[in-house]
Amino acid sequence: MAEPIIVADHVSFSYDDEGPQAVRDVSLTVQRGSFHAILGQNGSGKSTLAKLINGLYTPGAGKVTVCGMDTQDEKNTWEIRRRAGMVFQNPDNQLVATVVNEDVAFGLENIGVPTEEMPGRIEKALRDVGMLEFAGRAPHTLSGGQKQRVAIAGVLAMQPEAIIFDESTAMLDPQGRREVMAAVRRLNREQGITVLWITHFMEEAVECDQVHLMHEGQIVMSGTPKEIFADAAKLKPYRLDAPPMARLAQRLRSQGMPIRQGVLTVDEMAEEVARLCR
Amino acid sequence: MQVTLEHVTHTYQPNSPFQSTAIRDVNMEIRPGEFLALIGHTGSGKSTLAQHINGLLKPTAGKVLLDGQDIHEKGFDKKALRQKVGLVFQYPEHQLFEETVAKDVAFGPKNLGLSEKEIAERVEEALARVGLGQPGIAQKSPFELSGGQMRRAAMAGVLAMRPEILVLDEPAAGLDPQSREDMLQLIAGLHRQGTTVVMISHSMDDVARFATRAVVMEHGTIAMEGAPEEIFRHAERLEQMGLDVPSVCRLGLKLRAMGVDCPPDIFREEQAERALLALWKGGAAHGAE
Amino acid sequence: MALNDITLGQYYPGDSAVHRLDPRVKILLLIALIVAIFLAGNLLAYVPVILFLGLVSSLSKVPVKMMLKGLKPLRFILILTFLLNLFFLQGETPLLNLGFAVITKEALITAVHYSLRLVLLVLASSLLTLTTPPITLTDGLERLLSPLRAIHFPAHEMAMMMSIALRFIPTLLEETDKIMKAQTARGADFESGNLIARAKAMVPLLVPLFVSSFRRAGDLAMAMEARCYHGGEGRTRLRVLKCGKLDYIACGCVALLIAAVVLCGKVY
Repeated sequence: MAEPIIVADHVSFSYDDEGPQAVRDVSLTVQRGSFHAILGQNGSGKSTLAKLINGLYTPGAGKVTVCGMDTQDEKNTWEIRRRAGMVFQNPDNQLVATVVNEDVAFGLENIGVPTEEMPGRIEKALRDVGMLEFAGRAPHTLSGGQKQRVAIAGVLAMQPEAIIFDESTAMLDPQGRREVMAAVRRLNREQGITVLWITHFMEEAVECDQVHLMHEGQIVMSGTPKEIFADAAKLKPYRLDAPPMARLAQRLRSQGMPIRQGVLTVDEMAEEVARLCR
Repeated sequence: MQVTLEHVTHTYQPNSPFQSTAIRDVNMEIRPGEFLALIGHTGSGKSTLAQHINGLLKPTAGKVLLDGQDIHEKGFDKKALRQKVGLVFQYPEHQLFEETVAKDVAFGPKNLGLSEKEIAERVEEALARVGLGQPGIAQKSPFELSGGQMRRAAMAGVLAMRPEILVLDEPAAGLDPQSREDMLQLIAGLHRQGTTVVMISHSMDDVARFATRAVVMEHGTIAMEGAPEEIFRHAERLEQMGLDVPSVCRLGLKLRAMGVDCPPDIFREEQAERALLALWKGGAAHGAE
Repeated sequence: MALNDITLGQYYPGDSAVHRLDPRVKILLLIALIVAIFLAGNLLAYVPVILFLGLVSSLSKVPVKMMLKGLKPLRFILILTFLLNLFFLQGETPLLNLGFAVITKEALITAVHYSLRLVLLVLASSLLTLTTPPITLTDGLERLLSPLRAIHFPAHEMAMMMSIALRFIPTLLEETDKIMKAQTARGADFESGNLIARAKAMVPLLVPLFVSSFRRAGDLAMAMEARCYHGGEGRTRLRVLKCGKLDYIACGCVALLIAAVVLCGKVY
């Protein structure tokens, strides 16, 4: 059994004392090296949860533990942020420096990495996200997907154990989304970096190990993508729709075609149809 | 009303080290009543093209004609043009600025110099059209609305001009699935009621569902043009261009590659359903023989 | 709309000895050079300064045209300085009687002296900004001012602000252009009408721009915090400024220059 790296234990949070709770009694465990998705509509509390994990907010009730450290304890703050980095939604609003490699250096400078060590770490981080050739470019000359990959490199250079992506693909075109998703999957697979992927795109959630569905501040469903998307009707109350292939499978099943449960991707569907039609 | 682009070329910052040609010798027309999808990779020139339709950008070479008249000719009424051709930019909610939603929607009609009464009528109509007709919303600050509502309020600001042609640059970008669907239904509704729609989109599933015609841009020129079924028949070519194809299209490609006899022109979910059921029944019949 | 034409600062890229100097050294040398210019007691004393500036600018390979561009905004002040001194200064040796005024030799010399001083000051500063990228300049300033932290001068914060501003100027220009177009599409008119009408027409542009800048600032603050930013305390740097042989040579040259200026002033 893998060790848990992010643990939320009955966590609640509200932005102001009288206001409604943005996160209500959420419990969540993410194992080291896994790839979890939090899926939900805008306003479901998923971004707030992300910020609670990174220590940008501290819970009003309950407890968040990252790599064994309590986020409530102020002396852990910087260590938590280094070990569980975060990439945000807007590619324009998270790059600080005027040149790509200096931006990647920003985090390293903040945590006091010795100057001699920086170039090597920057180079590796940029290479890992396929952005090495852009090291000398100005951020505003890059595409959205490229900017997000620079942001990932900035986190990566700090050698984190986990990275939280707060809707990091929401503002990208399909090409940019593919680039970013591919880079993140590679980091998860090859370097064992734990990923918490916050999104409202079903197609992205399909590719994760575990999906948590958030609605009105609560986690209403948790499971593997196959379990979550097995029944499109169950998703309706949460204003979410199943991924296209799950929807098509549902349609075909209702017409009597015995498509097996758990078909989510085009490849799975093609195999299933081929099996049935031969 | 018909807009025609004749040999339109647009170069940004000409005669400077930053010179770049965004579109090159583009010929196309926008037919009354159609739902035209503009497809292409980021940087393929679709946004530049869209901004020529209502004269925001002036072609470096070539002409833009409205019912045969050059819109950049001296004496051409640009204001009237901008009333007839409404343009909704990407993330239009970033342009809201007034104290109340109603005032913001009134900005366009006010610029047209309409009477107070007419303005009020149009504001009410436009807000109702985008689903913000509930009492109280008109008097709210636009910055108090939710993301999806802000987007629709910004749309209302363009609709209040009563455009005959509506040009939209990725109207659903960044919205969550439900708001996305609401937005697309709204646009489809406007189209049904006679508005000509030109929509830039990255989502081929949306193009497949709504468009009557599609233009594919690549490197500043038109690479493909035709009804969605014709465009998606060349799914491989689209993928080469780095574009998506509808997921059912990909399914068709995959099945054919696996040797399953799946018909080539599937690009909507209900078509896929029918075709696959037919296949399965045919296959089952075979098995029974 | 010429918004895209605004180039950032006036840095002229190059790899000359002047470009490679440590920015701290360059800033200090500029100050020394300004002192030298003010020390020049007579026209002869300007000769070494002019020769020096000529040498440095040819070393830097910055085109003379770029150098002179810096003077353009100042042309009225220059002409005014020259004319005022020329006409209104009293002197003993009349050169020319124009009827309404008498131009004296002393007035002419002072007029040339003051105008030349202004021109040289501008050229010297332009040389710094032309050969140093804004961000390096910021770095240099931060390092130079950091001893002032002892008296609570926020040197690091100022430098960070400058560099963030530099990073976001292109982004905001792009955004301004887009908002302007969007409002134009709704019939807004930014180009005609009197001053008041035009100022009013800016509201639909400025409000969204402010709103988005605040949103960006919030996002950015959060992103910086998430990347462990907590002020200048305990921060290391990717780029460390180091003085080399070149910098010592430059310092020596400027010291010699000051000596020459003082000497020329005495000799005359």
